[in-house]
Amino acid sequence: MAVDRVIEVEGLTKSYGRFPALRGLDLSVERGQVHGFVGPNGAGKSTTIRVLLGLLKADAGTVRLLGGDPWRDVVALHRRLAYVPGEVSLWPGMTGGEAIDLLGTLRGGLDESRRADLVERFELDPSKRGRQYSKGNKQKVAIVAALASDVELLVLDEPTSGLDPLMENVFQQVIGEAKQRGTTVLLSSHILSEVESLADRLSIIRDGVIVQSGTISDLRDRTRTTIHAALDRLPAPADVPVLGDVRIDGNRLTATIDSASIGEAMSVLTGYGISSLTVEPPSLESLFLRLYDEGAGDEAPR
Amino acid sequence: MSLALTGTAPLLRTTVRFDGRLYAPWIVLVTALTSTSVLVYPWVFPTEADRAGLAAAIGSNPALGLVFGPARDLSTVDGFNAWRTLALGGFLAALGAIFAVTRATRGQEDSGQAELLASGVLGRESRLMTAVAVGLVGSLAVGLAAGLVPILFGGSAAATVLLGATFTATGWLFTAVAAVTAQLGSDARTANSMAVGTLGALFILRGFAYSIEAPAWTIWINPLGWMTETQPSTGDYWWPLLMAVGLAAILLGVAFSLQARRDFGLGAVAPRPGPSRGSVRSTWRLALRVNGGPLIAWAVAFVTLGLVYGRFATSADDILADNPAVTSILAAGATTPDALRGELLVTILSLIGIVAAVPGVQTMLKVRFEEMSDRVEPLLATAVARPRYYASNVALALLESTVYLLIASTIMGLLIADSDLGLTFDQVLVQAIAVIPAVWTITAISVTVVGARPQARLAAWVGVLASFVLTLLGPSFGLDDWVLAISPFWHVPVTTFGSPDLSGLVWISLFTVGFLVLGFAGFRHRDLAR
Repeated sequence: MAVDRVIEVEGLTKSYGRFPALRGLDLSVERGQVHGFVGPNGAGKSTTIRVLLGLLKADAGTVRLLGGDPWRDVVALHRRLAYVPGEVSLWPGMTGGEAIDLLGTLRGGLDESRRADLVERFELDPSKRGRQYSKGNKQKVAIVAALASDVELLVLDEPTSGLDPLMENVFQQVIGEAKQRGTTVLLSSHILSEVESLADRLSIIRDGVIVQSGTISDLRDRTRTTIHAALDRLPAPADVPVLGDVRIDGNRLTATIDSASIGEAMSVLTGYGISSLTVEPPSLESLFLRLYDEGAGDEAPR
Repeated sequence: MSLALTGTAPLLRTTVRFDGRLYAPWIVLVTALTSTSVLVYPWVFPTEADRAGLAAAIGSNPALGLVFGPARDLSTVDGFNAWRTLALGGFLAALGAIFAVTRATRGQEDSGQAELLASGVLGRESRLMTAVAVGLVGSLAVGLAAGLVPILFGGSAAATVLLGATFTATGWLFTAVAAVTAQLGSDARTANSMAVGTLGALFILRGFAYSIEAPAWTIWINPLGWMTETQPSTGDYWWPLLMAVGLAAILLGVAFSLQARRDFGLGAVAPRPGPSRGSVRSTWRLALRVNGGPLIAWAVAFVTLGLVYGRFATSADDILADNPAVTSILAAGATTPDALRGELLVTILSLIGIVAAVPGVQTMLKVRFEEMSDRVEPLLATAVARPRYYASNVALALLESTVYLLIASTIMGLLIADSDLGLTFDQVLVQAIAVIPAVWTITAISVTVVGARPQARLAAWVGVLASFVLTLLGPSFGLDDWVLAISPFWHVPVTTFGSPDLSGLVWISLFTVGFLVLGFAGFRHRDLAR
């Protein structure tokens, strides 16, 4: 027994009618980690999460959640997890406080002091009716309801899409605290910075399959460094095979390069007379944009 | 065009294009109702004797008058058509108008569509004007189709066109009513309930007023009474329709002035802050809470229904005695007063039972509505198993129908026991209890639909509709027993005399169980919110 996996998905497929939403998705989340689940709109994030929660039935593949089958062992598993939906819809005539208590009780009880603490930190007015809340405030109700319970696993589907920057900060703190308590978190998002600062590992989904998965530094290593240089003489691209994506504009050269061969590139370029040089560290942003871009054109519903 | 109405024309075109097909069923339904009357009458009742028999059959069951109004002349095809369709056709035309207006006003505000529209180049009054226009044009279409098509099948022009005009006038009236309730209710469901409640109350009061031969003013204060007083084929009066048009115009004025006063997305009544801690902590309490408003409104409706039908039943003997056809059947020994009274009681209680299934079906459809509004998903992501969630709602649906039927029949029983009809309170209540299994069967159909095939939402109403048509219209059409037996209410035994045969109730209960099992299995195994 090497690693304790809280979520194990292999070869998951799910279609809506003739439209394939997931086509052979693999996902594995270790206990105690915050796992970022990232991808463009319509890539299949919410569908995956709904299968994990037993709301949708998988067409094929194996899905294990907390050691059980999410479709069969619904009640036992759901006692041990909490969920924040992507689209929070509250009962129009019910107050936020009532909704928090209802969801908490149905899950098997909530921690009173943590509930009070979260309501205060998120500056939530729990006496307003569901229909009076703004998008962000609805989201806060759902977040408080989920985090006020003591659970092993938090499943968060784009939880901060309506929060202001201050509340986003509070959210990062509370997730950090949850992690310290040993809670596992599956955090779906299309906002990179949020995931980057919270997640131990990332899985990037596109078109219903995982296209990249690993720790943040793993993924960083897979991206390339960008250099911008102003040169006295310009090399022919064939003379500098170590550089990729070479673009030349006047006497300026822009290219990408493997992080491991920066030294080699420098020594080559020195021969051409460098008058200015910028080296951009590898960014996930560029990896994302590249991955997202390849998938552009075939949009899919969530 | 004034500034306040800018953009009405393009908005109306779009609304008609997208909502038009939702109006089509109402047009088809009402047209089918009038056309079938005209087609079927000469075929089922070819001779004078058949027609006299029909008049006697309908006269001997005054409960039918509660729904259809007075049967003025059943010896001509136009008189028959007027009796059979005037009340029901108007009711359907009004429902179509109410739903269309609410959809284009409150419904859009609830879904957020209206906000997109209102931020565009659109006058303040344009959205309401569009909704009203859809209702007016739709009602006109109902009246034209239902008033012209039967002429092709042999209806006389004067009577049929007037009949169609009453449908249009009723539709216009309730377009205006819905325009007002859309301003008062805080969401689409409340707005619809208020408008349909008004329609239902006026409908029942009209039937009641005619059935007990109440003073004329009770008919003339009821806008639906104006429709009946046009007397297609026996009188052909057009002028009562002018009153309806006038009232509609006044109500529309009220609606527009209310709309000018209220904030977007809110009702006339502002919401107050509520408790910051919750007492709803189970799926059962949640089902009660989510259905709260309608539960109370329906309870009031059934108290009224019990009073009205109870008062009506106590005068049944007089009504029967006044009917020459009935006197002759009795004299011929074909039936006994006891049998007539028993049949009458079963008919009334079946009618109440069918109406009592309506809130049950609504509760089941609410499950689907909640599901599509993404509110079931977070619940089922907690430790609530699907069967438990569904069971809470199914239990509520069956229980509320039962309680409503019992409320109405208790009040009826008290009134009847106090009269000289010759039936005791216990007899009425036992007969009501015998109706309960039939109510459950038609409610259970909606449990199957919502559980297993929620995409076919309208199918949830099949039980209610079929029972209504077969129980009330079937006998007068001389349909075969096997057709009538499709309605579970046909199997309800008369318990007030003789020894009742309960086997029919066992059969329909087996169907009830089957429907429930299908519903639960479906809900357990299907994808959610799809």
